[in-house]
Amino acid sequence: MRPQPPPGTPVPVCGMSAGGCDGAADWPADVSDGSSLPAVELPRKRKGDMEERLSMDCKMEDDLSRSEEEDQQVKIKCFREPHRQIEKRRRDKMNNLIDELSAMIPACQPMAQKPDKLTVLRKAVQHLKALKVGTSSAFADSTNKPSILPQDDLRQLLLRAADGFMLVVSCDRAKILFISESVSKILNFSLLELTGQSLFDLIHPKDINKVKEQLSSWEYPQEHMIDAATGLQVQTDAPIKPTHLSSGAWRSFFCRMKHSRVAGKQEEKHQLPCTAKKKDTSRYCTLHCTGYMRSCPSSQLDSEGDAETPSLSCLVMLCRPLPHGSPQSPKHINAKPSAFVTRCAIDGKFTFVEQQATTVIGYLPQEVLGTSCYEYFHQDDLQHLAEKHRQVLRSKEKIETQCYKFKTKYGSYVSLQSQWFSFTNPWTKEVEFIVSSNRVMSRGPGHIKDEEAGRLKAMQEEIPIIPSLSNGVGTMIYAGSIGTQIANELIDSYSRVNSSPSSGASSPFGSTNEKCPLVSPPISTSASSGGGAASSSSQSDSRTAAGASSATADSSGQVSQLDLDGMVVPALSSFSSDEAAMAVIMSLLETEVNVGQPGDYEDLHWPF
Amino acid sequence: MTTDKEKRRAISREAARRRRRVESEVFEDLSRLLPLQQSVRDHLDKPSVIRLTLSYIRMHTLLTGKTGTKAEASHKVKCGQVTDGQMIRHEFNGGYGEEEEKERYDADASEETNMYLRILEGFLMVLSTEGDMIYLSENVSKYMGLTQAELMGHNIFEFSHPCDHEELRNNLRVTAEEVWSGEKRDFVMRIKSTLTHKGRSANLKSATWKVLHCQGRSKVCVAPSSVSCLLLTCQPLPLSHTLLSTQTFTSQHSMDMRFTYCDQRMTLLLGYSTEELLGRSIYDLCHTRDTNCLTKNHFNLCFKSQSVSGRYRMLVRGGGYVWVESHSAVIPNAHSSKSRPGANQPLCILCVTYVLSGVEEPSLQLSLDQTVHI
Repeated sequence: MRPQPPPGTPVPVCGMSAGGCDGAADWPADVSDGSSLPAVELPRKRKGDMEERLSMDCKMEDDLSRSEEEDQQVKIKCFREPHRQIEKRRRDKMNNLIDELSAMIPACQPMAQKPDKLTVLRKAVQHLKALKVGTSSAFADSTNKPSILPQDDLRQLLLRAADGFMLVVSCDRAKILFISESVSKILNFSLLELTGQSLFDLIHPKDINKVKEQLSSWEYPQEHMIDAATGLQVQTDAPIKPTHLSSGAWRSFFCRMKHSRVAGKQEEKHQLPCTAKKKDTSRYCTLHCTGYMRSCPSSQLDSEGDAETPSLSCLVMLCRPLPHGSPQSPKHINAKPSAFVTRCAIDGKFTFVEQQATTVIGYLPQEVLGTSCYEYFHQDDLQHLAEKHRQVLRSKEKIETQCYKFKTKYGSYVSLQSQWFSFTNPWTKEVEFIVSSNRVMSRGPGHIKDEEAGRLKAMQEEIPIIPSLSNGVGTMIYAGSIGTQIANELIDSYSRVNSSPSSGASSPFGSTNEKCPLVSPPISTSASSGGGAASSSSQSDSRTAAGASSATADSSGQVSQLDLDGMVVPALSSFSSDEAAMAVIMSLLETEVNVGQPGDYEDLHWPF
Repeated sequence: MTTDKEKRRAISREAARRRRRVESEVFEDLSRLLPLQQSVRDHLDKPSVIRLTLSYIRMHTLLTGKTGTKAEASHKVKCGQVTDGQMIRHEFNGGYGEEEEKERYDADASEETNMYLRILEGFLMVLSTEGDMIYLSENVSKYMGLTQAELMGHNIFEFSHPCDHEELRNNLRVTAEEVWSGEKRDFVMRIKSTLTHKGRSANLKSATWKVLHCQGRSKVCVAPSSVSCLLLTCQPLPLSHTLLSTQTFTSQHSMDMRFTYCDQRMTLLLGYSTEELLGRSIYDLCHTRDTNCLTKNHFNLCFKSQSVSGRYRMLVRGGGYVWVESHSAVIPNAHSSKSRPGANQPLCILCVTYVLSGVEEPSLQLSLDQTVHI
């Protein structure tokens, strides 16, 4: 800490590039306390000043070039500049630090008003004293180098970060001299099982030679090193064994080590490395081992240590498993995209599709955006999914769907199960979108092949992808309307809440609601579908009618069942205004007269 | 100015001075409580004292906080460590008398830690989710030039390359699911280093970029206060002084990853002859599903000049593949003509590839290259 300036000394103001904005430690502090007049004095250049070096946030510094003269000029210049800004910045920084400090100290938490700087500092002192009492004396008053973290904790953190373990093996027999506790988390063997064993018992048989090479390089005449400057190998034929075995020689290699599935149990004796049977069915994980050679007195190491080798070498290394575990046969590799997220508007139209969805559904995200999810749902699932759709719009919780089939680009279906969750705008209290977290339930074996098969099949059958109004693939249009209706019900419920109850008058179209089941069957040709678009249009009636909720209850059965063939009613999803919808309703009402004559709608005037 | 005003001014000046003195005393007390060396302590200014205090408190919270089974784990570990520590001492230094035990323990503990750090060939960094470097191990000065006391408490974004900020932010995000299972992190970033060639520490303004490979995991404490952070080991990526084994080969590539050279061990390990490979792209040689891995590696090389690839598969002549990992760096092309010194040297990529496994699925042929020529 810098000594206090004697009272009466002019206080330097600008700690710019020379002194650093925050570097003029005590002195600007004085200014900030609101005392005396700012003096005009160039601050001394302080070399060891940390804050000078680290004053990244001084805007002026960024504008500086690196020459000395310009530094000087700016120094002078900055006095003329409102030093208040610099001071303010410095003060803000200090205040932020004090705030952070008060947040970390328990004693400062329950205070009613924000404690002042001095109090916070005093509490910090008390807190530190309390902490010291509780911790080990590793740094309290030892003569050794004190450090912020006690040594044990540092080592522990290190191993945790590296997710590895320390291993010391003797170079001659690869005997495990020391292994750190963390090995139990990685290899699932306990310390007791491993210490004293030979490393070769743990290593994959094919890697034994590699490890031997690393431990004792004198058997290999050629040293292979790389000269990083040229990228060429430096091949030294002369056996330089001593240097490479001496302390400091660096080693870095990969090897596979056995690991047991379960944390070592007594019953699982066969898992112990030393009792491994010939037919080794253990699992291996690949580790990256880095470390260096150390020499150590042999007397402690080996009871069989003899006078011929007065100083044994050992390899001290850190072993870290590679991120993805052991290389295993492809059957076990979990293809990543078994789950993906999509988002859709309240009417079920996709507004966001995660990239990895493509591997599941075959479509690229841009191909499905804007289309309704109902277009891809299998017929059998429409009903239950529509029900869930309704539910999720009205509930604040996650709604789980059952398994359902989703049509992929190639015509095949993939089994999904989703979790839906609606997001409500906190200010307008309206549902803005639905997030769907989709999980693939089953693809069948070798899903890639499935896709290919599906693609082939699609090509063979030539399923037309372009939807048209008059053939079986009309699902694409009509399915979409399901979502829209459900959405419209919701919007309606909002407007009902907001508007006066006068809309509760019975609708002149109310009678058509009951009629809708009658409308559909003669029109539809497929047995499973009922309701059809006519019902969907009568759903739009319910939008304007007061009895919307009852209507939905009535027709929930019909909504999910669409007439898939030949209904010529346009997709209501294209309607955005009540008027347009009204127009359609009107025309449909006209058609009711012709209920018995399916398909004869050419003379209808479509409002779009 | 009236005497009244003058008096008032004098009084307020005196009061301010008193306040300053008291404040400085408190700062002194605080800095004395910090476990730092005296030399370091003398150079601390007030914001630094606060920063270091914050770090100290945060680390303490982190280590004693409950993370599921952390409480028992910590206890077990402390005992375990002590035993391990003794073991290592006995192995290397022989036993000690009881009296000296405690003293020696401290010395050894510190030596052991140093050994750990040395083996790691890097430093430990604990980052908060906002990017504050809560803790840095002392050897950070060896890699960044700036010391632990100077850096701790500052924000990593002030010291890392702007182009890497996005990646950093992605890595700092700790999701709720990670509370119980610390997710792993593995990325490459560029950091400011004030080390010069001679090893001296220069001013931050003339700092150079250093590439660090950061690996680690997230750690979340639930009680007493919710603290989540990343534990990272940061290592520079040296390619030199690596003893290559028989299961390792080197190769050189142009910047688009086409082979320009590979050593003969490649032939032994993968079956291709050198001539076959020259001019071929590495992407041709690898399993399609690992393209992402290779692309990321390539990207890192182009922008950060060094990279560790992670595991990927290389197709073997005759069928099947081996798992490999490559450590690569961009270096000036040694083979180019030296007749134009001073001109920009063309760059090439040097790869050291470690073969991790044996040949898997030897009957699987995924590429025409694998078919054996008659």
